[in-house]
Amino acid sequence: MKLKKNNTISLSNSDRVLKPCQGSIALCALLFTFIALLTACTNKNPDPEPYTPTPYTIEIPYGFPTKLNIPDDNPMTVEGIALGRILFYDGRLNGRTHPDSLMSCATCHRQENSFEIGAPRPHPFGINGQPTHHAMLPMINLVWNMGNFGWNGSVPSIEADVLGVISDPSEFDSSPEKVVNTIKNIEGYPELFRKAFGTNEITINRIAKAIAQFVRTLISSNSRFDKYMHGEVQLTPEELRGFVLFTTEEGADCFHCHGGFGNPLFTTNKFYNNGKDSLFTDPADRFNITGDPMDKGAYKATTLRNIQLTGPYMNDGRFETLEEVIEFYSHDLINTPQIDPLMHHIANGGIQLTPPEKVDLMAFILTLRDDEFLNNPDFGKPEIPE
Amino acid sequence: MKTPFSKYLNNISIFLAILLLGFSSSCKQKSDPPAPEPSKISFHFTQYNQGLPLKFDTMKYVNEAGNHYLVNEIQYFISDVTLHFQDGSIQLLDGWKDIHYVDTDLPETQSWKVYDNIETGSVEKVSFTFGISEGKNNSLMFVNPPERDMFWPELLGGGYHYMKLNGKWLADDGVIKPYNFHLGIGQIYAGGLINPDSITGFLQNYFEVELPNSTFTVNDGDALDFEIRMNVENWFRNPNTYNHNTWGGDIMQKQEAMHLACENGKQDVFEFLKK
Repeated sequence: MKLKKNNTISLSNSDRVLKPCQGSIALCALLFTFIALLTACTNKNPDPEPYTPTPYTIEIPYGFPTKLNIPDDNPMTVEGIALGRILFYDGRLNGRTHPDSLMSCATCHRQENSFEIGAPRPHPFGINGQPTHHAMLPMINLVWNMGNFGWNGSVPSIEADVLGVISDPSEFDSSPEKVVNTIKNIEGYPELFRKAFGTNEITINRIAKAIAQFVRTLISSNSRFDKYMHGEVQLTPEELRGFVLFTTEEGADCFHCHGGFGNPLFTTNKFYNNGKDSLFTDPADRFNITGDPMDKGAYKATTLRNIQLTGPYMNDGRFETLEEVIEFYSHDLINTPQIDPLMHHIANGGIQLTPPEKVDLMAFILTLRDDEFLNNPDFGKPEIPE
Repeated sequence: MKTPFSKYLNNISIFLAILLLGFSSSCKQKSDPPAPEPSKISFHFTQYNQGLPLKFDTMKYVNEAGNHYLVNEIQYFISDVTLHFQDGSIQLLDGWKDIHYVDTDLPETQSWKVYDNIETGSVEKVSFTFGISEGKNNSLMFVNPPERDMFWPELLGGGYHYMKLNGKWLADDGVIKPYNFHLGIGQIYAGGLINPDSITGFLQNYFEVELPNSTFTVNDGDALDFEIRMNVENWFRNPNTYNHNTWGGDIMQKQEAMHLACENGKQDVFEFLKK
């Protein structure tokens, strides 16, 4: 670039020639750009750099449903799942920071117990020692629950469940504001939210969404029975006899409500009155949701995957052991107008298993334990921001 | 400068061009008429008892055997719906899907807007397979609910239930008991002992239903609406009197009971009505 005699500027041989007044405009533009840059440099809260999270795809195991319950407004991403996993395990998720007051999802939903509490007590206890209304359900394969979570199906989504837990006096007994305020003041979280949601603004809905994304990855599909389905292992004669009892009407007929080869979730996610009581006084049974008198005393048939680890059993945790449950279905059913028709053995008080049959049925049920799931490092406690 | 002759030629050319344009345009109209609108068909599935819409969960019905009973829910498959035309041709409705699931708890299953375009002509009758035929009744073909929950255990023959009709009846000992009127693949047990270890073979119980009074005409652009009605009491009536006290609450492993039920199903359980 060189200055010519007539005060025009030549950029090169082929460049256009600027007149004097045009030169002033160019100088103004340069000045404006400089001021703009200066302003940007002095901005205390710059917009974060845009970040596009990495989409995450669930691999559907053999025989499992292809329809997944992933809300349109909460697509799964690698970063969202990672954030959800951290929040799931962070004891400050209840909005408190004192070491004696920490409580997170993982306080009760323990991986070693199929994300159930697994303690020998009918109810888990919240931060204030108040028991929950019902016993716990395992947090497993929930991406295939199409929208009726909980024992009575009252919870429409995992996100809604997280939000409910925060305010429930028998769980976190906190508030969305308190939780958001606590989380956003922990160094490291804003950046994790930026990566998960494209913004470092922390809201209670984003907290719920991230946790829900993580929970949707909790898939159990590699139990001993799954390996048998894939032809990888053979079941013992005892286990096979139990499988026959499980899947025949003349046997124990568990499969109509709890699935089997054709339904590897080992639950229909439907609600049944299974003959536990003669009077129905629980204000949180299925009837409370549908208003259908036939739903009195009806509750969800829980999945039998890892069932040996998720006691105590039934909605009220009345049975401590699986042996007690099998005994109940064998001999102690109560016939009422509300009993589900699928409980056709009610006419005999139960399925009337002999002692060896009870052993066989138990042997089969134990094949539904999935040690790979229980020890999967991707589901364990991650590093938590300090 | 144009001569009179060239002017004359010009006029002739314009005239010929207009004529050619008009001719080609009229030819186009004749060779490419507008396509007729396709004809469509929809089926609506209903359940009746004694001529009235079925009422669930009320012990108000009495079957041919004298059993007082109620119905709690019905779930079933029909497949291979076929239109039989008077000229001898048939049309199998198998576009997009050839197996339809009906569930009395799920309104969305109670209507089926068939994907196929329906051929025009006079339909003599409509038929379908109750359940699923042997060649198509494959395990794990339905992995999603609600169809998934119809699976029929592998060791009893596999595939899917044709039907679950669940309810209760007042048994002859005065006790109200559940019945699971479930139809599917039957088993042959050696020595008549109902034990899965003694199964020597399987029996296909699906059957073809020819709907009575299912004559109609299909014209271009028709949107046809028909009702396929299940008359529940006829499952227990004709030609076999089905007694719940005889067969008890479960029949998946009782081929004789399923056979009687399927014979009844072929008769007059299903009805065809024009809406």
